[in-house]
Amino acid sequence: MSLSAKQAVIGILGFLFLLSLVFVQYTEVTRRRAEAGIGEVHVIVPDSSKACVDCHVQSTPAIIDHWKSSNHATTGVGCYECHLADPKDADSFDHYGKSIATIVTPRDCARCHQQVFDEFEASHHAAAGNILASLDNFLAETVEGARMPFAPHSPTPGDSVDMVNGGASVAVGCMQCHGSKVAIEGTDGSLITMDELAPDENGQPTNLDAVAKILRTDDGRPVFHASTWPNTGIGRLNLDGSAGSCSACHSRHDFSPRRARQPENCGKCHLGPDHPQKEIYEESKHGVAYRDLKDEMNLNGKEWVLGEDYSQAPTCATCHMSGHMRNGGKVTHDPGERISWTNRPPISLRMDTDINGAVIKEKDPAVRRELVADTWQAKRQRMKDVCSHCHTSTYLNGFYKQYDDFVVLYNEKFAKPGTMIMDALKTNGLITAKQFDEEIEWTWFYLWHHEGRRARHGASMMAPDYAHWHGMYEVAERFYQELIPQAREHADHAEEEGETEAANAVRKVIDDILARPEHAWFENE
Amino acid sequence: MGVLVRWIQERVPITGDELRELTNEPVPNHLKRWWFCLGGTPAYLFVVQIVTGILLAFYYQASPETAYESVRYITEEASFGWFVRSLHKWAATLMVASVILHQLRVYFTGAYRKPREINWMIGMCLLVCTLTVGFTGYSLVYEQLSFWGATVGANIADGVPVVGGLAKQLLLAGEEYNDRTLSRFFLLHAAVLPTLMVILIAVHVTLIRLQGVTEFVDEKHPEKDRGSFNFFPDHLYTELIMGLVIMILLTTLSTILPATMGPPADPLTTPEVIKPEWFFYVAFRWLKLFSGTAAILSLGFIVFTMFVWPFIDAFLEKRWPRSEASVWIGIVGTLLIIGLTLWEAAVEH
Repeated sequence: MSLSAKQAVIGILGFLFLLSLVFVQYTEVTRRRAEAGIGEVHVIVPDSSKACVDCHVQSTPAIIDHWKSSNHATTGVGCYECHLADPKDADSFDHYGKSIATIVTPRDCARCHQQVFDEFEASHHAAAGNILASLDNFLAETVEGARMPFAPHSPTPGDSVDMVNGGASVAVGCMQCHGSKVAIEGTDGSLITMDELAPDENGQPTNLDAVAKILRTDDGRPVFHASTWPNTGIGRLNLDGSAGSCSACHSRHDFSPRRARQPENCGKCHLGPDHPQKEIYEESKHGVAYRDLKDEMNLNGKEWVLGEDYSQAPTCATCHMSGHMRNGGKVTHDPGERISWTNRPPISLRMDTDINGAVIKEKDPAVRRELVADTWQAKRQRMKDVCSHCHTSTYLNGFYKQYDDFVVLYNEKFAKPGTMIMDALKTNGLITAKQFDEEIEWTWFYLWHHEGRRARHGASMMAPDYAHWHGMYEVAERFYQELIPQAREHADHAEEEGETEAANAVRKVIDDILARPEHAWFENE
Repeated sequence: MGVLVRWIQERVPITGDELRELTNEPVPNHLKRWWFCLGGTPAYLFVVQIVTGILLAFYYQASPETAYESVRYITEEASFGWFVRSLHKWAATLMVASVILHQLRVYFTGAYRKPREINWMIGMCLLVCTLTVGFTGYSLVYEQLSFWGATVGANIADGVPVVGGLAKQLLLAGEEYNDRTLSRFFLLHAAVLPTLMVILIAVHVTLIRLQGVTEFVDEKHPEKDRGSFNFFPDHLYTELIMGLVIMILLTTLSTILPATMGPPADPLTTPEVIKPEWFFYVAFRWLKLFSGTAAILSLGFIVFTMFVWPFIDAFLEKRWPRSEASVWIGIVGTLLIIGLTLWEAAVEH
């Protein structure tokens, strides 16, 4: 090679080297931008959703922004892929030539996430909508509100209220966590829900008369009843017969895995006086470690396997749902799979579940064995598999002994006696069948529903203050200082009314309970 | 300008003509072949290693508590840290590869023969230093490979009869990996071995200048190889082109395949599979084939044979003239090295 040719080669190579350094600089800048959360996202807008994006970037720009930062956007899952609807669906409508539905139900998500759908539908989360018409909802529907609209008490200055919506508390309280029964308004003023539509196994309505009277806007959209939509309650009862709302945890439209992994996400519902799991977690060493180390927990990771992608602290998702090294990283969308006690009812029950995932209440051991599809021991072992990433078996067994002893103490000393007293009052006619019309019913509700749950949840997640001061201390105070005196008061009142036999029956129940050694301190010398 | 030149020449008593004469030493024509530049390549990469190594040392902290975190900081947080670390890693890989290729070229062209036996042995010392600096380098990251690689290496040293125990103690600063081991590795990697290599390279190059480059004449095209050309600028251009190609290659590799980090060192968890860097695959496979002291002694014997090969070759030439025995032994040896390396790479255990 001649000298001039070599000089030319050096010039070209020198230029290429400078170019490669520019590429290095570009890589560094891209990395920095990604770290700062302002990185470019490689969004793939599928042809089916191009028109949607072009229009909604003007009308609802934030929705498009949210979607752009989602995994869906980078994998070519656009608006239409989720919102598409069969024209036969009850809530479908034509939108610029495409048949779509406003509400995306778990059945829609199942088109791509079938296994997640199956796990979720079998979970207690999916059944959360069953609270409607339960004891809790009697409080919101009747005691707090009213089961019908009613006339205002008096005029409100600056406003004109014709009628008061008695269900307002249910709609913004209970239903936003538990889920609404989604309803479309009918042309005859009725409400059309999944009950009226009677959807088949594909989610399409079989009652075409109900479909025919769906009230629609001028552009053909079904008119949802405002008390039932918007709603992202986790047990929402949808028009296609599916239960639940994926967006309850995976907020629309970015469906952020990072957010679903954080306890704050669960804290939308799992907090407050009756089930303060979020506050309990924050008090526990787990929560303390999480606050300190969350930045190191790889929360943005594509995979989030305990022991591989992080190990600094567990969140709600870690223990109840996420994959870990011992189960091959398998995530479950049924949080009940790892829970061995249910502390929801007045008396805690072992989580033996039947083939439908329902807790078995059968007492006969032989019949019970026949019914059990998944034992509480298997559930506990699944939880231990998570715990054992950080704790030895000795530690774990010790913890579970403490927890079991605590729940059994609560059950045997307060929950079962309290239940017996309330049953005795009811069966002997000393209180009415109606709920919450007598003080003792409020007392009992506070005891098990608020304080009793706080105590048990506190014990289950290592929050000593909730187990004791916010829990068992208040349970004991409520039992000795309110429930027992109020029950006796009912008995005394009954005797004054001439119902001596009923009064004595209730007194015997109370006396038998207080005569037991664990209560002996209260009245005996 | 003239004043400045005069000021410098008064203090540096060499003229431009003298400097040109010094650098323009005639270079044999065969060096126009690109593969004869392999001697300059490792030297060039060595400079890259020194520059990037100094930059890395600004951040690296050599103790078991801080080493992994400091490397993570370099890789994930420091500006261009990932690039500098990746350059260092890839330059190390290319340096080992180019040293081996250079040695193969020297071997198969017989450039180690009289009077260049000592320079061959210095080259062998440089090969050993390069491999050792590589070993201590990946031990510094303090990931699982670092810890268990160092432990396995120390146990191999321990298998050497008589001096093995002492060698292990010298390497680990104790009977087993401890708080002082990492700082010892760092000192070896960043100070002792580089200084030794600078000295060895200086002697290596000085001997080349004193003895002159071996003249190689292709028997098929003798007219092409006879004669010589100027070092400056002709050969310098060739080296510059090689340098630029290497820099482009390093930058590309560093951005496309940047250096990553394995799991942090855990003395309580022995990995299921532990493998050293690729350049130790041949020795690793050999040790697996012939376990125990026999494997270590045979490996030591092979290395010793390579050291004194010029003298063995001279004996073979004298005993069986024109037999080309060294070429055939070289081919068998090279195939063995490639075969054992591929074997180790292909299997899990």
